[in-house]
Amino acid sequence: MSLRILSSLVRTRASAPRLIAAPITSRYSSSGHGQESFEAFSDRYVTFFQSVQDIFELQRGLNNCFAHDLVPSTAVVEAALRAARRVDDYSTAVRIFEGIKEKVENQGQYDAYLRELKSVKDELGVQTKEELYA
Amino acid sequence: MTTLNVVRTLAKTGSPYRRAIVASTRSASSAVRPSSQQSIIPLSNVEAQWEKLSSDEQLTVHQQLEALQKKDWKELSIDEKKAAYYVAFGPHGPRAPIKPPGANTTIFFGTIGAIAVSSIIFALIRSRAPPPPKTMTKEWQEAATEQAKERRENPITGMPLYAFTT
Repeated sequence: MSLRILSSLVRTRASAPRLIAAPITSRYSSSGHGQESFEAFSDRYVTFFQSVQDIFELQRGLNNCFAHDLVPSTAVVEAALRAARRVDDYSTAVRIFEGIKEKVENQGQYDAYLRELKSVKDELGVQTKEELYA
Repeated sequence: MTTLNVVRTLAKTGSPYRRAIVASTRSASSAVRPSSQQSIIPLSNVEAQWEKLSSDEQLTVHQQLEALQKKDWKELSIDEKKAAYYVAFGPHGPRAPIKPPGANTTIFFGTIGAIAVSSIIFALIRSRAPPPPKTMTKEWQEAATEQAKERRENPITGMPLYAFTT
């Protein structure tokens, strides 16, 4: 786009010397961000949650992790739940499930997450908000 | 949690408030200590009372819950879990709902009522207004059109000058 604009500008200025004959090789700073793959994202957050040492770090990490346009994988959620256990914060563990429910598209996906996380959920004794207020 | 952290940081930083806050925390905990095993504020009722508790009592509940959550979570009763969740993420403070319960019906009927009252005022004013002028009848306007045709009035710019002179 901007190349076309540039070339048309050059064309209109007939007196201008033809300096921009060579192709522009430099990259525009606004384009070309590195794309992090879903797996890389999951790995990053699993290692993050494994190293969490206090409630503030855990909640900050959860805020960041759930702010992306994706639902965190079960590995990330499991690491977050174990981090919540490590810092002794039951309410945040409940809140993680609430966050998943908010992020998934429908009830079926949420149930799938619950099925997948059932073992760690039972191991830690975490209940979802729906189970608490049933 | 926040109150606790504030108290902790203040106590650590040694600000002028330090002595007062530490003293108040101490007095609160010492006042509570004898019966803290019995939990002076029943955790099953925290959700109902939370807003009414003083900040000292809230701090006590925070401390109770913090100690509780250090245990195996499978041993916690459902009331203790609910209390922990409510205190951390319940609808109070910044998470309080903007509208009180039942506000939607109040807003609906209030709007309907306002429209009804304004309609009544409108009808009253109209009923007491004088009748429209006689030129607004259909006969009058048709007759006016006939007269304009007789006088060969220009439909755009109005009467020609000779219409006034004759």
